[in-house]
Amino acid sequence: MLAAISSATLLGVRGHPVSVEVHVANGLPAFNVVGLPDTSCREARDRVRAALESSGLAWPNQRITINLAPTGVPKAGAVLDLAMAVGLLVACGEIEPELVAGLAFLGELGLDGSLRPVAGALPLVDAIEEPGVVVALGNQAEATVVGPETLYCVPDLRSLVRALRGDEPWPAVASIPEEESLEDDPDLAEVRGQRMARFALEVAAAGAHHLLLIGPPGAGKSMLARRLPGLLPDLTQAVALASSRIRSAAGEPLPSSGLLRRPPWRAPHHGASAAALVGGGSMVMRPGEVSLAHGGVLFLDELGEFAPSVLDTLRQPLEDGTVRVSRAFGSAEFPAQVLLVAAMNPCPCGGSGAPGGCRCPESTRARYARRVSGPLLDRFDLRVDVQRPNPLDLLSGDPGESSEQVAERVTSARRRAEERGVVANAELSPAMVEQAASLTEEATQLLKAALYAGTLSARGLHRVRKVALTIGDLSGHHGPLTADLIDTALSLRIDPFHPVGHAVG
Amino acid sequence: MPSDSPLPAEAWLNALSSLPDMGPARLRALLADRQPEQAWRACLQGKPLPEVEAVVGGRLLTLTAAWAKAAGQLSVSELWSQLVKQGVQVMGREHSEYPSCLRDDPDPPLVLFAQGDLQALAPAPRVAIVGTRRCTRYGSEVAYELGKTLTTAGVSVVSGLALGIDAAAHAGAMAVKGEGQPPVAVVATGLDVIYPKTNGALWRQIAERGLLVSECPLGTTPAPWRFPARNRIIAGLADAVVVVESHEKGGSLYTVDAAIERQRPVFAVPGPIRNPASSGTNRLLADGAIPLCQVSDLLEQLEGAGHFVNEPAPSPVRALLPPQHQQVLEAMGWEPVSLNTLADRCGLSPVDLSAALSALVRSGWVTAERGFYERMSNTT
Repeated sequence: MLAAISSATLLGVRGHPVSVEVHVANGLPAFNVVGLPDTSCREARDRVRAALESSGLAWPNQRITINLAPTGVPKAGAVLDLAMAVGLLVACGEIEPELVAGLAFLGELGLDGSLRPVAGALPLVDAIEEPGVVVALGNQAEATVVGPETLYCVPDLRSLVRALRGDEPWPAVASIPEEESLEDDPDLAEVRGQRMARFALEVAAAGAHHLLLIGPPGAGKSMLARRLPGLLPDLTQAVALASSRIRSAAGEPLPSSGLLRRPPWRAPHHGASAAALVGGGSMVMRPGEVSLAHGGVLFLDELGEFAPSVLDTLRQPLEDGTVRVSRAFGSAEFPAQVLLVAAMNPCPCGGSGAPGGCRCPESTRARYARRVSGPLLDRFDLRVDVQRPNPLDLLSGDPGESSEQVAERVTSARRRAEERGVVANAELSPAMVEQAASLTEEATQLLKAALYAGTLSARGLHRVRKVALTIGDLSGHHGPLTADLIDTALSLRIDPFHPVGHAVG
Repeated sequence: MPSDSPLPAEAWLNALSSLPDMGPARLRALLADRQPEQAWRACLQGKPLPEVEAVVGGRLLTLTAAWAKAAGQLSVSELWSQLVKQGVQVMGREHSEYPSCLRDDPDPPLVLFAQGDLQALAPAPRVAIVGTRRCTRYGSEVAYELGKTLTTAGVSVVSGLALGIDAAAHAGAMAVKGEGQPPVAVVATGLDVIYPKTNGALWRQIAERGLLVSECPLGTTPAPWRFPARNRIIAGLADAVVVVESHEKGGSLYTVDAAIERQRPVFAVPGPIRNPASSGTNRLLADGAIPLCQVSDLLEQLEGAGHFVNEPAPSPVRALLPPQHQQVLEAMGWEPVSLNTLADRCGLSPVDLSAALSALVRSGWVTAERGFYERMSNTT
């Protein structure tokens, strides 16, 4: 009257194997689930009973206890429904225990006995040690990505039981369509004018440098930013897997192949909470937007409207490439390697931001500027101004280069970064910068002048050198960095909130 | 109280203007047909005066009571010795140093507090340079150059030492070392209350090498109504008023109204019609103000009015530029422009453009601020 069935539960973005132990004994009819189930997990008893009865299987009118081991790990969601149902059938003798040996079961049950896909199938299947896994049809693509030895996809409980008993063959596994991305990235050619901003996008893509676009409403900041993922190369297998794992765990749609190959694009609204941005939760740890954008672009529109405390939580993930969320009951680590792109107005009035071109008093501007902390601003290697384009360019101007053309240069620049041992130049350590980005005499003088003038910090110095290196890579420059490259890197790093001095001379 | 030497009229004027809620109109009413000392005694006794009633109406009794109470707590001689100790000059209308141009003013300050070089009030040409606090670089540069050129030409610069244009004009005047007419700053606070704080250094420089003037007693903190009142003194002291930049409803238009009332010529510096900071000045030009296209326009006007001015020395012109830099300058125009816009306009590659701009900034042709580039004047 005892059965133990293998399944798994999600902890953050990782799967954790769970053994579903079912005990059916004489006594007052009851159905108890123990072992830290959350509400939706505990509600399984109603779903399981209805599913069994709808599938024409007998319900044992006895005392049923289900234990989810290990009991110290919190279990969330309905992923254990199927394992509980199978466990019950085994415990009641409906299915021989040998038939389920070496199999794990993942899936949510409908009241009609149908099997529904679950969020996080990719990490869940990955966590399972058994050679065979049974999942819902809708989870087939994700499960295939991590490739268990044998994968069975079934539409409902009835066909599962018949297949287990050998009455029917297992439902045939359909081949997975080779569709690539979820949605096509828009083309850079649609942007007219904006030469410098396009260049900044190219540099950002090539060197993985964080980018801040500043300009009045309607200048095309969001349009430009949306075209950045299209300039990035395809994800490597490791990043694609990690990225797909996060998306799967968060229940976000994945391409029909189950694996995300193009860099993701995430654009949370500025009302986002700290937990929504970096991840968290009370019982279930959910990855935040910064992790959902892993390997791709995190776009924060209206940066000045985000709560300052929320923005500052981004500083550590931007530095380390991972987020560690700790709560009283445990902690989870999410990968978070993103290219951060942000857009903001130069001041609250939405003027052009040009000196004398806005209605805001200096104090209002200063208050607005304080919403983005200095340390966060410092992490944007590229800070460019985007003004409304010339109307003539909009109507008649030639289309600019296409994303494809720019992406080619980006790929070759990234190849040069790989020769230095990193994915992109932004990851170069200070020691590597010294080695890879040596300076000509003129360039050294230029940087010295900027340091003495106080317009550049020591941290900024390294960042400017890395950006200059990326610009050099893009233009096929070899040898020490020239003054021109440093000049370009410096002019792509404006200080948007610097107060304008009133007295000249 | 030592009373062997009688106190000068200015001591009583100072005490009167230190009373609560005292302004120029009330002070004038008090002094309508009595000497300062008599006026003080009237206040001390709390006598309701009909002249004051004409100004304040129904609030007469409360005000008189407040004055009587405050006057009872003030020691005229102690206030006076504080002023003497701090080196503040006080001038009533009968004082020998009281500026002659204010004697027949329609609304003259009845008392003036001054600190610095009284030579600045001697009968020499004086020009007021006023404008918005939220000026553009163009405005502040023009104000600075005007301040500098006028000072070397022997013209005293009068302004309000506010942010923006005022400060730039004063900074230009102070930039002249040695020969040069000292500037006058007419402020709207007590001479010991530096406002705005950011102008502290300039304030102290003017107290040392120019002249600070106020009609407010020491310790007066800024109040909105005092600034337009201050502007009438600026207009009264000046032989001409120049508005460098003003918004459509800027405070400098009060100075213009006061100047017109006093029949002082008003000059306005033309600006781009798209620039909000020039909308007020361009409107003035449309209404008949004299356009100030070069300093000589103004100097000729002063000479015509019988003043003697020096020929200003021509400023040195910057060296010529290589063609690519010239191309960038031409694409830039004379308004602040962002790098992105400039790149679209001149068609240079990002690297070439950045290098050219950086060279232009280093050689002083262009300034860079908040990512905006702006062309500076051709002279150094």
